[in-house]
Amino acid sequence: MSLSRFLVKRSLQGLFVIWGVITVVFGLRFISPGDPANVLLPPDVDPEVRAEVIAELGLNEPLYVQYWDFISGIPLGELGNSLVTRTPVAARVLAKLPATLELAIAATIVAIVIAIPLGVISATRRHQPADYGATVFSLVGISTPNFWLGVMLIIVLAVQFDLFPTSQRPIGVDGIVLLFVSGSLGEAVNGLTTWLWHITLPAVTLGTYFTALITRLTRSGMLDQLGQTYVRASRAKGLPETLVRYKHALRNTLIPVITVIGLQLGTLIGGAVITEAVFAWPGLGTLIINSINARDWPVLQGSLIVVAVGFVLVNILVDALYAYVNPQVAYD
Amino acid sequence: MISERTLRNLRRELRRSLLAKIGIVVVVFILLMAVFAPFISPYSPGKQNLDEARLPPVGFSTAETREVTKMENGSVVIEGGEVVTEERTVYTNATAAHPLGTDGNGRDILSRVIYGARTSILVGIFGTSLAALIGVLVGLTAGYYRGRVDDVLMRSADIMLAFPSLVLAIALVGVWGQAQAPIPDPFVVTGLAPAFRSALGFTTGMPDTVVLPGTVIVVVALVNWVWFARVARGEALSIREEEYVKAARALGASDGWTVLRHVLPNAITPILVLATIQVAAIILLESALSFLGFSGADVSWGFDIALGRQYQSTAWWISTIPGLAIVITVVGLNLVGDWLRDALDPGIEGEGGV
Amino acid sequence: MAEPILKIRDLSTSFFTEEGKVNAVDSVTFDVEDGEIFGIVGESGSGKSVTALSVIDLIDSPGRVTGGEVWYRNADLAEEFRGSRPEAVDGDFVDVRRLPKGVRRSLRGPSFSMIFQDAMSSFNPSITVGEQIAEAVEVQRRARANPRRTRSRTQGYGLGSAILDTFLPNRDYVSNKSMDRAVELLDQVGIPDPEDRAEEYPHQFSGGMLQRAMIAQALAGEPDILVADEPTTALDVTIQAQILNLLRDLQEQEGMSILMITHNLGVIARMCDRVGVMYAGEIVERGPLGDIFENPVHPYTQGLLGSVPDIDDPSDRLEPITGNVPSLLESEMPNACYFADRCPKAMTDCMTRIPEYDLDGRHSVRCVLAEREYDEADALEQEVMADD
Repeated sequence: MSLSRFLVKRSLQGLFVIWGVITVVFGLRFISPGDPANVLLPPDVDPEVRAEVIAELGLNEPLYVQYWDFISGIPLGELGNSLVTRTPVAARVLAKLPATLELAIAATIVAIVIAIPLGVISATRRHQPADYGATVFSLVGISTPNFWLGVMLIIVLAVQFDLFPTSQRPIGVDGIVLLFVSGSLGEAVNGLTTWLWHITLPAVTLGTYFTALITRLTRSGMLDQLGQTYVRASRAKGLPETLVRYKHALRNTLIPVITVIGLQLGTLIGGAVITEAVFAWPGLGTLIINSINARDWPVLQGSLIVVAVGFVLVNILVDALYAYVNPQVAYD
Repeated sequence: MISERTLRNLRRELRRSLLAKIGIVVVVFILLMAVFAPFISPYSPGKQNLDEARLPPVGFSTAETREVTKMENGSVVIEGGEVVTEERTVYTNATAAHPLGTDGNGRDILSRVIYGARTSILVGIFGTSLAALIGVLVGLTAGYYRGRVDDVLMRSADIMLAFPSLVLAIALVGVWGQAQAPIPDPFVVTGLAPAFRSALGFTTGMPDTVVLPGTVIVVVALVNWVWFARVARGEALSIREEEYVKAARALGASDGWTVLRHVLPNAITPILVLATIQVAAIILLESALSFLGFSGADVSWGFDIALGRQYQSTAWWISTIPGLAIVITVVGLNLVGDWLRDALDPGIEGEGGV
Repeated sequence: MAEPILKIRDLSTSFFTEEGKVNAVDSVTFDVEDGEIFGIVGESGSGKSVTALSVIDLIDSPGRVTGGEVWYRNADLAEEFRGSRPEAVDGDFVDVRRLPKGVRRSLRGPSFSMIFQDAMSSFNPSITVGEQIAEAVEVQRRARANPRRTRSRTQGYGLGSAILDTFLPNRDYVSNKSMDRAVELLDQVGIPDPEDRAEEYPHQFSGGMLQRAMIAQALAGEPDILVADEPTTALDVTIQAQILNLLRDLQEQEGMSILMITHNLGVIARMCDRVGVMYAGEIVERGPLGDIFENPVHPYTQGLLGSVPDIDDPSDRLEPITGNVPSLLESEMPNACYFADRCPKAMTDCMTRIPEYDLDGRHSVRCVLAEREYDEADALEQEVMADD
């Protein structure tokens, strides 16, 4: 099967999953005890007003009509209105998305930049102090709840030593870009430092689990690859050890690591939700938690759809990347 | 089901690996702590004493600058009709009565850590069992029947996987509410623990129920069954091609019988390894839900970390200690998981985490 | 008699495992002469592959070459190190083991090269065959351009180069010239359409073709000595013959020497000029092919030859050697001939370590029978093997 046919097939599967996600999210409302109208209205409200609100929300329509209304709006970016603020959900979700993406990308960068060299060092210096250190770090890293790690970082680095702020996101990348485009270079640089200063602790908090995980995978993958005959054959033909390790062994190690990173992006987004809660980071996670506390189901549903669809799309991308870097993939 | 050879591999790997030994010791220790909480806990986890709030753990003391009434010769100093105050550093010392200190309401942290283990272990074990039950059922069915059944089941698994597990768990618990089932604590109800405690002169008044966080257990299972389904399906797909399975079917054995008698026992090893790792993942998930206040648990490590946040600048230990308990437990479980995986080599990677 | 290109003296290699020290190669001595094929034959576990890897200095942890010398004839190197490392030089010969690490590494390719049993796992699955061969060409091209650099720790290719090569797609280790040479080499080993095949990945090759490609890769540095570790074991019989013919032709064309490692006496008979028989980490008998096949002295060699069917005499019963190869764990090795417990002619004299006896300057054997006749009166009480 060619790469393009594989991608078409993979995208069709992705579409199916997206449909499933939307349907599950639609169904979520029906497991909730109580009536959405109760969120909007005091319990002792006039039954007529109540009926009116229910009609306005479309809750008295037959189920299939409600389902159709729900699903048909989504391709147009229509996610309904918040029960609380009565504003479009899509706009609110979009407004919160950059903060979460920034956090997730920063954490991924932290993880990759630290983990891959650490895993390689660990594998090439087996049974040496560096290896033991990396092994213990990765074991503890995958076992540490990131919200607690965040609290610890705040207590030590923000409260005790006052090196970082405890929370908040006074400026985002979008803001910095705007400053830059508008020509105020000095302010843009200022904004960038502020941003970096504020995102460091959340990014480390979110990235630690991934750093540990990728270190682990890189180490075991590297050990596996370095034991392969082709490594010995590369040495036999006189290649420099650097070339053997990095061009040959590491490249083959990273191919499966990429897939795992793709699969773990869900965990990354889950982690982002709770990291946002720790650092009062105004992203999707905070939006989701607030919407649950306010019983604002449309906002919750919209956020879930955005998160899950994003996850599916990223996974298709990762698969494509995998197929691109690995000539052996059978595309099935 | 578990062959002599498997046991031999387990023993050999255990002899060889210090980390595996540490893991087993930690897990057994935490399990014993959870089971025998009413015997060993110094106080009831809910017992408040506001006079002893925020005592530091043994080995630490706190210095706090407070405004206090100025005293001279045992009497309050009054100048110009006003009570004079002065700034004074107040030292709070640890007491042996609360070795790990107390929280913001003066509850003993050690007791809360011991009782918190119960919540984690209950959710970990019941949640994993339920997830395994659903996942193995789905996975074996999909792998055994293949074809359309497989497609439908595994595509629904894909749909579940599209949701980040923590996000889905938050949404489900948030939407569903927090059903909890108080079940009687056998040691307290039978009078065993109280008798033991009064004989040794311990404080009494241990809670007589264990709270089973029902919704949380169901939700973590719903979120995590997919991993079991994947592993069980893979095993079923390969085992069904084995000659003895074909022979059994040729002899007219029913599908259900074949799966139970032949496929399941051979799939059990990778499922056990996965289960160990999943207990760790589910404990982390529970602590995250509790931290966010969605689990409804009021004795839980995650919940205590959240409670300690308001004292993060004055009493660091309130958040720190329960977190350490989580880390130690999960490290132990991961070590045991690594041990099983290295010894049994079922070819699966660990999944999940917070 | 041709002059040796390689003189191995008392080479020993051990593996330091959890169970203890395993002496995989124990004081092995042999010569490889100019332009000859020297064969090492033995059962699996006899240490023949480890010997090959020890010669080319590719033993990985937990193994280590623990002693002995690898004298390699190279007048230039001898001249270079005569002053600085006199202990490593003897006439035109240098002891590779006593040369600096960087120099040792730089010998792989132009002096020693190796082909392996399983070609499929000896190529990196994610890089084209042509590029992998071109790498072997390129490394020599760079070495010629800058020999000093080639002997440095990184061989002039540091982490910086590795990172740049990974992230900049147009930066390639391999030059076009080397690619062209790789195609020539593929052509030389008889691969049809070499230009197209060079662009293919290992999994697109058949086993025999890939084995040819591996030979091409080993030839890239124009080695003096090619170490061939079971080069045909993984192949079909018809392909085996093709590969062996190819090796023989190339050896004649290039004038190189081959150290052939195999468990297959047929391969030895067909290819080798001289042969060493390995058992339990030792060479128990070595000499010219004819002597070993016609006139074996060591009972193990006799047993090995007796276990091959004779096509001319199908009525002849095959005689297997009873028992198993010993574990080679140092703590369990007897202070006796290692073969004594399986030997049909074991005598009381065998209960001590046996030296190597020289029979006629060409044929030597590690067995008391070199000096005396078998005497039943002296026969060693053999315990009856219960477990076979």
